[in-house]
Amino acid sequence: MRTLLAAAAVLTLAVLPIAAPWLQFVLTLAIAKGFAALGVAVLLRAGLISIGHAMFFAASAYAVTFLARAGIHDLGLLLIFSVLAGALVGAVAGSFLVRYRAIFFAMLNLAVSMVFYALCAKLYGVTGGTDGMAVPVPTVFGLVLSEPAFKSVLFYLSLGLMVLVGVSVQRYLNSPLGHALAAVHTNEIRLEYLGVPVWAVLLIAYVVSAALAGLGGAIAGFAIGRVVPDFAFWTASGHLVLIAVLGGIGGVPGAFIGALFLELLHSAAVTVTDSWNLIVGMTLIIVIMFMPQGVYGLFARKEASNL
Amino acid sequence: MAFKDISIVVARYLSSLELAFRLDRGTPQANLRWAVDGLAGALALGVVAATPVAAQEKPGSLGLGLFTFTSGPAAAYGMPGKNAADLIIDEINAKGGIEGVPVSATYVDEAQGAQGVIAEYRRLAGDAKNQVMVAALSSANCLALAPLAEQLEVPTVGWNCDTHQLLIDGKSKYVFRPNGNTVPEFVAYAIYLLDRKPDVKTVAIINPDYAFGHDAAKIFTAALKALKPDVEIVAELYPKLGSPNYQTEISRLATARPDVVFSNLWGADLENFVRQAAPRGIFTSSQVILALGETVLQRVPLPDGVIVGVLGDGWWMSPDAKANPETVKFAEAYKARFGEYPVFPAIKMANALIYVKAAYKAAMQKNGGKWPTRAELADAMKGSKVATLTGTAQTRPDNDGLVDQIVGVTVKASAQPFPVIGDMVRYKGDSLMPQAGQDPLAWISTLKPEFARRLPKPGSYK
Repeated sequence: MRTLLAAAAVLTLAVLPIAAPWLQFVLTLAIAKGFAALGVAVLLRAGLISIGHAMFFAASAYAVTFLARAGIHDLGLLLIFSVLAGALVGAVAGSFLVRYRAIFFAMLNLAVSMVFYALCAKLYGVTGGTDGMAVPVPTVFGLVLSEPAFKSVLFYLSLGLMVLVGVSVQRYLNSPLGHALAAVHTNEIRLEYLGVPVWAVLLIAYVVSAALAGLGGAIAGFAIGRVVPDFAFWTASGHLVLIAVLGGIGGVPGAFIGALFLELLHSAAVTVTDSWNLIVGMTLIIVIMFMPQGVYGLFARKEASNL
Repeated sequence: MAFKDISIVVARYLSSLELAFRLDRGTPQANLRWAVDGLAGALALGVVAATPVAAQEKPGSLGLGLFTFTSGPAAAYGMPGKNAADLIIDEINAKGGIEGVPVSATYVDEAQGAQGVIAEYRRLAGDAKNQVMVAALSSANCLALAPLAEQLEVPTVGWNCDTHQLLIDGKSKYVFRPNGNTVPEFVAYAIYLLDRKPDVKTVAIINPDYAFGHDAAKIFTAALKALKPDVEIVAELYPKLGSPNYQTEISRLATARPDVVFSNLWGADLENFVRQAAPRGIFTSSQVILALGETVLQRVPLPDGVIVGVLGDGWWMSPDAKANPETVKFAEAYKARFGEYPVFPAIKMANALIYVKAAYKAAMQKNGGKWPTRAELADAMKGSKVATLTGTAQTRPDNDGLVDQIVGVTVKASAQPFPVIGDMVRYKGDSLMPQAGQDPLAWISTLKPEFARRLPKPGSYK
């Protein structure tokens, strides 16, 4: 039943842009943010809130433009290398950030990401300052595509990746390494006594989550066609945490459900009024008040009652 | 019409979520029904959005996508643009619309950032009724939308896209800028300054810390260095956009004691800076240049002798504007409706809409009175020369605009309770622009003092 529902949802997403071409961009962006929110959700398992994941999102997107400038023009290579770049930044930042817990972890993530933001905005000659840098249309396996064709390829690729990466992350979370995250949350000392190095468990989780955010950033960069420092701003990080919480941190689909919900809500709200922020905000309050487990909680709870 | 339908469908789509609240205790079948309901709603939404309107018949109304800041700090600059658009569209519709078709505008708030702006642009472009986009205010948004305009083939008029990077490749077919750009805008200040104060030795710059501020500093410095190589830049300060406090920067300026202080701060930042700098004597110890000073003339008491301008020719009290009854009427109507006279962002928006209107007229003359397609409209904009409220907007073959530049100094006027611009000069639009395809900064470095000598002098525009 659950697989069926998931398949139906993915199919719906695949069909939607055929009916409404403009939705393709919104959905691509939503999936991209879903990846990043999934990264945040992985760390939330260990009780660690990162208010700085937009840094990896932006790092990957900037990596795409720099790699393209260096002469790499293939979509696949660009994606792989830029995700690696995001993971590398994650490994560096994570190596010292995972020593901290709770509010210190959240604040230090915020601080590091804002340093990154400031660098992007201030290094005018390198990053183009607030005007950012253009992301060129890459080739796909040597094929030179027109922009509309590329955007379709990108959308269906992200959709495919959503399923693939989603299943992989699910397996990771169900592995001993994944379960160790929850154990960190409940009793860290006991874990150490069991001979599991908490530092390594968290660093792996941190790098995985940075890579996920990076994948989202690279896709968003391709979709938008321009990378600006705002990608790394702390409100963007907050947005990712919000998506993760909104969707529900119980499972992998939660992040994507949250991202789709928020993007579609935003799109709907801006068409109605100038005070779209108000509508978005009020809806979020309602969801958080009445659906404490997030939108995904609707499905998960039903699952539990079926047992 | 399609718009209302979309809203209804969106509402329905969202209401199906509400259904889900009740269903969470229900049976799996009910959950499935929710999914199906949502799917149906979403599909209907798509179908409505994708239905094209025949372009060759006169439509019931003409849709315009207007992109500006209507929330956040940048609304200080964006709202005059929106107000002017409201006013001019009402005026156009009162006269029966553009070529008999009433105009209805959809405003898009740029404060949502590039992602939201792109999504909205795509959505509006998907509806064939929306034939033209007037976008945008922020240069980052302009740069992000430009490739999209080419891809979707929607004529896009940059009402405030002043970054010189926008049309630099010369390949644009659908992006137009009936405005000057940062190059003539800031070169004009360098020339005016050297005419008015030929012995200037030291200059300090205080600009907002983003691309517009840095670009302006680069262009203004390059022009000064080219025209008077012994000028020294003694301080370059870039306070954060939206800073409430400029005391540190003002202290630096006070100790550096430069002959000239140049700034392209704007909006609330500019008001704050002026309020804090005036009591500390910056305006008496240095010649201050406020590139966007005209926008605060009616709001803060600027002392006499500050060099200000309008980044173009959009000064509602210029001799040309006063001679044009349309402009006088517009300014009075604006004052009556919004409580103050139109600042230059308002004039820029009004001129952009007049430019769009003229393009329709030209396109319909060309194709024998039929309602033009988007491509025909873009064709009509190419190389056009349009009389605006404050001068002419000429479009070059590379789609870049040639607009005159007005610069002057603040003077007291008996007719108004606020300072106005006097001792004006009006540089011809083409005289301060590099040739199409030329690198702007390379062009600036080739300027010679003789170049400035041939141009009109301060006070020549009366």
